[in-house]
Amino acid sequence: MGLEYVKISPGFEKYMPRDYVDLVEYGQFGKELDVMQMGQFKELVEEHPMCAGCYMAYFIRVFYAALPKPEDTIVLGTAGCARLALSQAAVPFIYGNYGDTNAVASGLKRALSIRFPDKDKDVVVMAGDGGLMDIGFGMTMHSWFRREKFTTIMVDNEVYGNTGGQESGMSPKGIQLKMAPTGKKFDKINAVELAQTAGCVYVARISPTNPKRIAKVIRRAILAARKFGPTFIHAYTSCNIEYSIPTREVLADARQREKKDFKFYEWMTDEVKEYFNEIEKKAKEVKS
Amino acid sequence: MYFVAEVHDKECAKYNCKQCVLFCPEPNCLNYKESGHTAWVWYDRCKGCEICVYVCSDLLKRNCIEMVMVKTGD
Ligand SMILES: Cc1ncc(C[n+]2csc(CCOP(=O)(O)OP(=O)(O)O)c2C)c(N)n1
Ligand code: SF4
Ligand code: SF4
Ligand code: SF4
Ligand SMILES: [Mg+2]
Repeated sequence: MGLEYVKISPGFEKYMPRDYVDLVEYGQFGKELDVMQMGQFKELVEEHPMCAGCYMAYFIRVFYAALPKPEDTIVLGTAGCARLALSQAAVPFIYGNYGDTNAVASGLKRALSIRFPDKDKDVVVMAGDGGLMDIGFGMTMHSWFRREKFTTIMVDNEVYGNTGGQESGMSPKGIQLKMAPTGKKFDKINAVELAQTAGCVYVARISPTNPKRIAKVIRRAILAARKFGPTFIHAYTSCNIEYSIPTREVLADARQREKKDFKFYEWMTDEVKEYFNEIEKKAKEVKS
Repeated sequence: MYFVAEVHDKECAKYNCKQCVLFCPEPNCLNYKESGHTAWVWYDRCKGCEICVYVCSDLLKRNCIEMVMVKTGD
């Protein structure tokens, strides 16, 4: 971790793989790049095996482009589709047992604060609906009860995508899936409300229809976690395979869901609000 | 043989746009060239999902991207 770690030792440039050299020369390390510049710099995430048109993959792409300090970030994931791309990025990635992300992240964040007391080291969990709201539910909730200072991002495709279509607590009521042929009997869990009640200081729900807004939410969630406590983002990231969405329609689907049950929602404590007002005011002053 | 997206750069350059680049799910696949004001596809990274076509043709009615068949090694 740290900028020194990503730099190439002098004399070794010509022996390093092209993609790595590009990362150091045209990448995000040590720079403040805007997410709207995507496609004009070398992105942190590389080629990966997620399906064509997967909007979880899209969300992950924007996530990495939005990281405030990639050289000082550790990402944690778990079994599920997201780790297929998370493991292909130039940011340290930790993968434990299914559902244990928020327990591991708690220990990691505490250790980092002891080891680097004067530096911000960002810890971000990114996991599926099954990982966070079913199997890892207890560990997710308890990290929030304990007010652990890291960010949890749920990439919700409303199904166990990686294992072929079982229902999760986040699947909508009534939905028929390959391995839930009679239809789901229970309501979708209200994750955002749970997060607020359990002690998160910043909570957002978002459908990936606007990269600028995704980036803003990610940065806010990470910055608020550094100072105040747990933060949570609930992102709709469709699985076109299990929900049979023609890939060309994937963005149209995200736009439709945004009008229905994935309306943009952002909530934070007064303390966090005040903090953002302050830093956003300062940023404007610097610009002008 | 597989499907990839191809940008008609002369058409695209008329718009000074970049919207498709911001919605492709793949990293550094659909890129943008500042000098020519045009989007361009790194074919090896394209998975043929057509989300860019949805953005350019269905949403923006600009019709600057087309899906084409390529052979491995093209
Ligand atoms: C302890 C344990 N139980 C079950 C599995 C099998 N498994 C792998 S991924 C997965 C479901 C993933 O669903 P979700 O977390 O929603 O992620 P998605 O693939 O949908 O992104 C399961 C049950 C496992 N790896 N470990
Ligand atoms: S199975 Fe679904 S969520 Fe997983 S990579 Fe494929 S489209 Fe994405
Ligand atoms: S959406 Fe169409 S016009 Fe806009 S940059 Fe892409 S190809 Fe060009
Ligand atoms: S077809 Fe899909 S993967 Fe290929 S450039 Fe278009 S949006 Fe990107
Ligand atoms: Mg899932």
